[in-house]
Amino acid sequence: MSEKPEVDRGDAGPKQVGGELVIPVAAILFSIYYFWTIQDIPWEAQVSALLVGSVLILLCLGFIIRTFLQKSRGEVSLQFSQLLEPIAFIPKRLTLLGLTLGYILVIPYAGFTLTTFAFLTAGMLTLSNGKKAGFILFLSALLSIGGYLLFIAAFKTRFPMGPIESALKGIL
Amino acid sequence: MEFDLSVFVAEFARTFTFWWVILPALLLGLIVGAIPGFSAANTIIILLPLTLAMDPEVGLIFMIALYASSRLGAGIPAILVNIPGTAGAAATPLDGYPMTKQGRGQQALSISFVSSVLGGLLTTIVALFAMPWLSQVAYYLHSVEMIVIMIFGISLIASIAAKDTLKGLIAGFFGLMIGYIGADVVYETPRGTFGFLELYDKVPLIPALVGLFAISEAFSVLEGESILSKRGKEAMQKAGWAEAWEGVRLALSRWWHIIWTSIIGLIIGVVPGAGAAIAAFVAYQQSKTFSKTPELYGTGHLEGLVAPESANNGVTSGTLVPLLVIGVPGGATAAIMAVVLQYHGVTMGPELFENHANLAYGAFTAMAVTYGIMLLTILPLARYMSKITVVSTVYMCPIIIAFTLVGSFVPRAYVFDMYLALVFGIIGYIARKTGYHVAAILIGVILGPLLENYFLRALRISQGDVMVIFSSTIGNILWVCLIISLLLPWYMDRRRKAYQ
Repeated sequence: MSEKPEVDRGDAGPKQVGGELVIPVAAILFSIYYFWTIQDIPWEAQVSALLVGSVLILLCLGFIIRTFLQKSRGEVSLQFSQLLEPIAFIPKRLTLLGLTLGYILVIPYAGFTLTTFAFLTAGMLTLSNGKKAGFILFLSALLSIGGYLLFIAAFKTRFPMGPIESALKGIL
Repeated sequence: MEFDLSVFVAEFARTFTFWWVILPALLLGLIVGAIPGFSAANTIIILLPLTLAMDPEVGLIFMIALYASSRLGAGIPAILVNIPGTAGAAATPLDGYPMTKQGRGQQALSISFVSSVLGGLLTTIVALFAMPWLSQVAYYLHSVEMIVIMIFGISLIASIAAKDTLKGLIAGFFGLMIGYIGADVVYETPRGTFGFLELYDKVPLIPALVGLFAISEAFSVLEGESILSKRGKEAMQKAGWAEAWEGVRLALSRWWHIIWTSIIGLIIGVVPGAGAAIAAFVAYQQSKTFSKTPELYGTGHLEGLVAPESANNGVTSGTLVPLLVIGVPGGATAAIMAVVLQYHGVTMGPELFENHANLAYGAFTAMAVTYGIMLLTILPLARYMSKITVVSTVYMCPIIIAFTLVGSFVPRAYVFDMYLALVFGIIGYIARKTGYHVAAILIGVILGPLLENYFLRALRISQGDVMVIFSSTIGNILWVCLIISLLLPWYMDRRRKAYQ
């Protein structure tokens, strides 16, 4: 899919695979938690998940052991830079994540149109380093109003409602 | 239930007179199919007041046109921005998106449209003639056979993640465990829900799809100026109409591929509950297995795009077969169609062909006409649609996040589902960055509840005997097929290497 091609590391040292352990470790922890939640329920409701969860844990342990063997041979290192690169984009990525969380927190109260306008404006300004502010404001307004007209006014879709949607409900 | 050709011909001619219903439904289907969260089923539910008020025949044609076009629409964002509109298009980006990144988005869209339309048309005609036999498939598939079919689906994960099978399997089984979250169907006991009531009814698929594909993609691509590579951008700027026609020519050159992969879709579509996602991945895996150039799959390979698009459109007519012939809907959209028709007093099953032959045959002729009209109307748009790929990520990323997040809210109207999409987005981002396949996780999430339901049912019937999964002849044949399909790629690979 959108996986980036392997970068030729040249003299940069062994491949850094610490990040590759995140999913297996999370999967093992989740399986253990799942098993804990099914300990007191009838056997029939446990068996399928026990089978699948056991296979998952075995696969993950196999992967972790393989990685540590590669590490002992000096083929890989357990650093996490693979997950974080390119480092220069971390502030933008974290800001966008914060804005996304804010979008979800605010949308039940402010509604789709207003929250989407604010999120799009803030998100685009963050990514563009504050450039083209006028165009971004125009585009955000166009998209949020367009979204309102298409999804809420025309299709009557169940979007989060706020003051703007409530006020316009009687008109459109 | 005998097939009457004169009824079919008359129906086909008459269906054309409903172009005024088909055109708006087609347009609507393309839009809702392309937006994650706005599936055909949801849209038909939203439009129930409209379809219930229509004459049953007009209502059926409207629903079918919307259903068929939404399947095609789901492939558009999958190819252009790596975000499938529905789970049925989850295999489309495997080769469609790399083509876009190379600046061949227009060509990829043309290939997708031609494969979808031809696959859909062909299977509609086959379904029309083979309806009496196809409908029998559902009678022979019970819980045990369905378990094998589900495991068949999961085994594909290893083939899809060909670079590292172990990672592919971890991703798939992790998805399965996530799919097991929620109350079990027999005892209604909540499991692995982290205390969230919203997860009692299993993990909703739309937030999983939105998070794994859209949110994670938006956070990944913001590193570049646009989703296109530098060379891709140059190619995209030079691309003219010839590029679209080249796509048509390339797709037509794989006519045999379209035929057999769409038949896979048709057969899987007949099986209730199996769905377009499984069909697309099965077709992709089979296509790769028998290809002379399997190493090119995943890099923007023509056949890797033709196979899933033909197959998921083959499913569309397949799901109608059990609905019309035995009254068992093959999927969510077919179930809603049944509700609308029953409201009008139309009984599904053999009686339908005696009392309402125009509706029974009309369903398929409407689908055939829709596919015909669709090719003529949508192909010229490929050039303009592909221009979206040159939009800067500065604008694209926030737009994708906002509109897909709110799309995950739509099916259940829970704000919780938006948080869930964000959590899946973070899982998807980590998976992408570390070489785990997000599509494998999604297949797991889709198949998890299905596998468990069939497993529970089989266990109850056998009074707790786990060996029940080897108790059926058809099931055992399927087990053998499963083993062969797992070993075949390995054998073919060895043979290829031996020749070299």
